[in-house]
Amino acid sequence: MAEYDQPPLSHPVPPETPRAGFARGLSGAAILAALALACAAAPLMADGSAVHRLDADPVAAALLDGRGSLSFALLAAVLGGLLGIGWALLAGMLGTLVGSRAERRTIAAAQRMAGWPLALLVPLAGGLTGPVWLLALVTALTAAPAVAVLAHAELSGLMRAEFLTAARAAGLPEGEVVRRHLIPNLTRPLLAAGVLALPRVLAAESFASLLGLGLPPALGSWGASVGLAARLGDPVAFVPPALLLALALWAACAIADGMAAGHRKP
Amino acid sequence: MTDASVLGAAKPAPVETEALTLMLGDRVLLDRATLRVERGQVLAITGGAGSGKTALLGALAGQLPAGVDMAGGARIDGHLLIAQGGRLAPRRPLALQVAEVVGHHLGLDLRSSLRRMADGLDRMGIPAAARRFDLPPEQLPESLRWACLFAMAVAVGPAVLLADAPAAGLDPTVRLRLLHRLADWARADGVALILAGRPEDGLAGPADRVLALRRARLLPANPARTEPLTPLEPPGTARLHARGVGMSYPLAPGPRGEARSLAVLHGIDLDLRTGETLALLGETGSAKATLARSLLCLPPPTAGAVVWMGRDLMAATAPPATGDANDPDRGGLRRARRDLQPLFPDPAASFDPAMTLGAQFGLVLESLRPDIAADRRDHRIDEALEEAGLRPEAALRWPSALSVAEAAHAGLARAILSEPRVLVADEPASSLSAEERETFLDTLMAVRDRRRLSLVLATERYDEGLRDAHRGVVMLAGRVVESADAGTLRTAPLHPYSRAMLAAAHGERPALQGDAPSAFAQPAGCPLRRRCPLAREFCAQAVPTLEEVAPGHHVACHYWDTPADG
Repeated sequence: MAEYDQPPLSHPVPPETPRAGFARGLSGAAILAALALACAAAPLMADGSAVHRLDADPVAAALLDGRGSLSFALLAAVLGGLLGIGWALLAGMLGTLVGSRAERRTIAAAQRMAGWPLALLVPLAGGLTGPVWLLALVTALTAAPAVAVLAHAELSGLMRAEFLTAARAAGLPEGEVVRRHLIPNLTRPLLAAGVLALPRVLAAESFASLLGLGLPPALGSWGASVGLAARLGDPVAFVPPALLLALALWAACAIADGMAAGHRKP
Repeated sequence: MTDASVLGAAKPAPVETEALTLMLGDRVLLDRATLRVERGQVLAITGGAGSGKTALLGALAGQLPAGVDMAGGARIDGHLLIAQGGRLAPRRPLALQVAEVVGHHLGLDLRSSLRRMADGLDRMGIPAAARRFDLPPEQLPESLRWACLFAMAVAVGPAVLLADAPAAGLDPTVRLRLLHRLADWARADGVALILAGRPEDGLAGPADRVLALRRARLLPANPARTEPLTPLEPPGTARLHARGVGMSYPLAPGPRGEARSLAVLHGIDLDLRTGETLALLGETGSAKATLARSLLCLPPPTAGAVVWMGRDLMAATAPPATGDANDPDRGGLRRARRDLQPLFPDPAASFDPAMTLGAQFGLVLESLRPDIAADRRDHRIDEALEEAGLRPEAALRWPSALSVAEAAHAGLARAILSEPRVLVADEPASSLSAEERETFLDTLMAVRDRRRLSLVLATERYDEGLRDAHRGVVMLAGRVVESADAGTLRTAPLHPYSRAMLAAAHGERPALQGDAPSAFAQPAGCPLRRRCPLAREFCAQAVPTLEEVAPGHHVACHYWDTPADG
């Protein structure tokens, strides 16, 4: 019986190397989770009773601001990620159903828009419109094209994968190929593309709030606090929100990078 | 240093090693090798992937790769190393890079460097019209890039030239032409030339001496198997017919909005008999892979018909006209898929990374062999894995954990899982080299003989493809240029392209000039005419058609019976 007696001398199996970006992504996730927990627990630090942000000590005030910033960023990132992924899937479906030309045009629009300074729309929307959900939608729109471009690149790369041809050679109908092979391999890259929206919306919202055109004052925001402290010339009030904002931005970027690097082949 | 003085009055050889030992961690890459290369001698060192060729050349050149330790003595005169893959800066104009290297070694200015480089290109057989010094290397064709590297070495004129995997990745006919030119230069100028590469790269041809790096030793090379593993049995009746199979890809519309397309396969007729092995031979751009996939209807060809056991596969793959889309065996397609199975050129990529091998094999069985009960599937999978040379435990492994050779064997196991009658293999061993390659091909042939399979083997290795085949079809630019039984093609092919491929396979100098033209810029008439030694004016006027020159031997050439110098 033919058997593989020993591994051949060539192609030694290299030792399992930790994937690049994985540790960074993990620490980013830990930091973001810690920040979210601290912000959620912030009211407990303000001696019970009513919370007056201006009276509280600067760190507690910054943590209270984080509630607004982080929850808004989460909402807008989910919206933006979904919009971007939907955009990419729409392009992919147009490619299969209508033709490659429609697909190219759909995704070329996203590519062009990803180069525009869309973040400027957020203060515009904040100044012109009132409701938070509308602001969240506009913020999500600013992140969606970049997500769509990345998600579409992953999707079209996977559509050409050889293992899909192998599945067709095994007589699987197209529906089964998509269900058994395409979708399980697509979820992680799409998720990674979607997470790209998180740092973008956080930065866009903070920028708008810094100008005083972002979230309403009742919600609180790191950007708004930084802007206010800068205008008042108060370094003690300036430092905590600025540091927390920087930390949150780094963590969000690290998560997005780690996710994108994690599924890529070495 | 003392060694050199002891060796006496005669001039010492430019390369001498004394019990040279290389270690990578605990692994011995090279065990006490004693090597001596004289002036004007060409030495080829062959070995599979990871056998330590690069480390050996690095040790000789005094540039040990990181992590490799060296013991023993090595003495080498003024040398130049052409590293693996060429290593030219991709975006910097070639002239500047040449001037830098030549200037560094010889202390010349830009003009003198370029003049020496032009002499070098002459010796590499690059005509003046093809020289594009001001372009960055990324805009040059691969063969011209290698010719420039060799020419740069000629311009520098070292005492010893070390070339790691020279011209790897080029077509055999182009590679052998360049290597022969380089060896000629080394012999004429008294340069010690060491070529290192994989055994199937044909480095042995231009070399005076061949050593194989096997199990950490430098040994004389084993000749490759030239006869079939077991005597071939005569084939039966034809079951798979391809008639006028053509493939064209749509291009962007032209300036006036007219539809355009690029035809890569032109009306191929083919019959495959039961138990027959058919070698599809051709180099890059010959559309042999496209033809192999067209036979499987993956994707279906755009013209012609593929008929398996009287059933038109192209009609079966077409979208259903009426509402029977849920029929699992529409038009008998599933039955045909069960009988016709592919082997992929990159076996590792043909497995879904998100499933274990066993799960994927189970899916294949579920789809193609609904007659096998679910609880018998594991048994069937184990059998197939063992037949393909793997242990049954491999079913539990993930594709990313397989080595390249194991992935190739697993691909074979998947192909025979449904008990097919035909295997269509597109360069199935292209990812393997040396012993792994031989082992895999032997396994494939053993499986074929045991199951009496028909085999379509698309490959660019002329001799290796014909070795185990009944019949060969030589393809060029999407057309068949010669088809005959394997014995005829191995001994006396008639078409100049087949002759060149045979010469390259034997390590001789192919009689073709230049590169294969791009699919977008095919010359009018015969696609080979700009490279062909037999070409005349009439070749530009008509594409030659296949004519029968002997029973079962077809050639498409206007002047196949004319001697080259006539």
